[in-house]
Amino acid sequence: MEYGIIRKDDLNKLLAFAGKGAVVYAPVETERGVEFRRFDGETEISFQCGNAKLSPKGLFFPQKETLITFSGDILSGITLPEERSIIFGARPCDALALKFLDKIFSDTAGRFPDPYYLKRREKALVITLSCNEPVPTCFCTSVRGDPAGKEGSDIFACELADLILLEGITEKGKAFLTAASSLLGEPVKDHFTRRDENIKRAEAKVSTLNINGLKEKLDSRFEDAAWEPVTNNCLGCGACTYLCPTCHCFDITDETNGRGEGIRIRTWDSCQYPLFTLHASGHNPRVNKKQRMRQRIMHKFSYTVENSQAIFCVGCGRCIRHCPVNLDIREILTTFHTIVTPE
Amino acid sequence: MKKIDEKIQEIVIKLFDDNKIDLFIGYEGGTLPLQSRPFFIRREAGQNRAAAVGKLVWNSFCSNNLAVYLPKYFENNPFKRKNEQTPKLKVGIAAKGCDLRSIFTLIKEKQALRENLVLIGVPCMGMVDKRKVLSLVHGDEIDTWVENQDGTLQMTTAFGKSITVAREEALQEACRECRFPAPENTDFIIEGKSREAGNGGYQVIDEFEKQDVKVRWEYFKKEISKCIRCNACRQACPTCYCKECFAEQTDLRWIGVSTELTDTMIFHLIRIFHQAGRCVECDACYRACPMNIDLRTFTKKIVKDVDEFFKYRPNFSMEETPPLSTFKEGDCESFITEP
Repeated sequence: MEYGIIRKDDLNKLLAFAGKGAVVYAPVETERGVEFRRFDGETEISFQCGNAKLSPKGLFFPQKETLITFSGDILSGITLPEERSIIFGARPCDALALKFLDKIFSDTAGRFPDPYYLKRREKALVITLSCNEPVPTCFCTSVRGDPAGKEGSDIFACELADLILLEGITEKGKAFLTAASSLLGEPVKDHFTRRDENIKRAEAKVSTLNINGLKEKLDSRFEDAAWEPVTNNCLGCGACTYLCPTCHCFDITDETNGRGEGIRIRTWDSCQYPLFTLHASGHNPRVNKKQRMRQRIMHKFSYTVENSQAIFCVGCGRCIRHCPVNLDIREILTTFHTIVTPE
Repeated sequence: MKKIDEKIQEIVIKLFDDNKIDLFIGYEGGTLPLQSRPFFIRREAGQNRAAAVGKLVWNSFCSNNLAVYLPKYFENNPFKRKNEQTPKLKVGIAAKGCDLRSIFTLIKEKQALRENLVLIGVPCMGMVDKRKVLSLVHGDEIDTWVENQDGTLQMTTAFGKSITVAREEALQEACRECRFPAPENTDFIIEGKSREAGNGGYQVIDEFEKQDVKVRWEYFKKEISKCIRCNACRQACPTCYCKECFAEQTDLRWIGVSTELTDTMIFHLIRIFHQAGRCVECDACYRACPMNIDLRTFTKKIVKDVDEFFKYRPNFSMEETPPLSTFKEGDCESFITEP
């Protein structure tokens, strides 16, 4: 089934159906802000204008993940999660970010596809909610995204006042809609017209910046003096990297109980932390905040373009909203886009 | 009557013209609603200094503690001899009470040089708590905002609503409780009105401590479970300047790096304990935390304990040394002799 319509009030029924044989995650408001939590059938789903504070990357690439266990010399693998999951309410920027993370974790050019991440992805169905009301910090359209972008989604959902219009994008998504067809109605032309109007309005509302040719400009301006003033404020706090849906640095550490038994875990890491690029000799080629913030920008807007053919920024605006010193990535990008170097 | 911004700008222009400073740290307007942010002006040829100084602001959104930037300008290169170090910059800074108390603490701990600093003390009426105000327009976005003469904050939202908030309602809790709103012991003091000093807010801790230990433990657990170990609190804190944080040592590894609750709890307990005698309750940690953890209750407990046990509050004095940096003969030793 390719299209379905459901009343917002009946969404819980659809998610309860989805919950048979799968774990459902949806954005709910907690004390931390809006985040993806296991849907318990009761908590109200958040349909707030902007995206969730914590992106769904944590559902596939958790902050803490046990990779193996060991007892003395004996290693035991971890049983990879078998449960199917349904993620409702990811935004187009989040879904696009997952496609970028897929490139990294499947490591098609190398030899090490990441089974932990990939298993979770394979078992997941992503229902993306399109954005009717982008907020001032959104800039997805400037980085090849869209408030109604479908990349990364299995099902694309659009809020139409008290209704939700669903569109199956992938075979997996269409199969889900077919299986849930008894709960869904047949949408009519008016629904599609309203959806298209919403999309047009949202696209016009998203703030834009011009970054055409930015990669080449960044590459030629690595040592430019302009890096200093735009990064002076930075505290090196790492909040931007943790909330960013495409940031994927991780650390691997062992934790033991003193009797030779332990676990090897993977945790989120950040290019903004003091240990980043610290050599065993004590030398650190990226020791100060200017170098690190430059690294972050270069990684997202130059190196990943070369290595993964994508700008690893989806314009979600989380780094802007949550930076304690209001470092604004849009300003940095615009600075380097508009610098005129004398010939 | 000149506004505070203009008075600061006047002083800064003269400091640069008279070659008294190489760098000035103040605030400028931000790109988000209700936000001013740290702003750096260097004495560099070619920079339009008048334009840069013209951007300096002083309003109710200057919450960031600027002292956090100082240690790096005064650090010594470990690979050079003491007498071969590069000369340190002369830094001017516009600071409110809490910032200044952090600066004096840094000076006493030898992380900043008094003779290289030009301190402009600014009287503080308290800063607006952006988080508090944003929660009032929950689900909406702030479009325009104006600070009125009478101190009210007038705002319009993206969905066309009009909201006015009384200043007292919008202030940071730390500012309401602050004992030191009027600057002292600085090179310049901007003329203006400061808030009436608060009472330190210890009653919040007294109330908390009256609760059963199980209730307190549950609260502590609940708050700390929110932590994602991003370290924003540590980075925002002006007196967290260790080159190698205890949490990152691997030889020995004291705590794990994940969000395992025991690790997270120990991280916060130790970090806050390390602030004993040094925390000025600027709430930089609380504001930087992306997960809204109530760090204030825990930092205030440390401040209260130091006040009661050692009769010390981080203030504007250059003489009083923080209690954990000194030993006095009368200091209690019972913890050694009767553990």
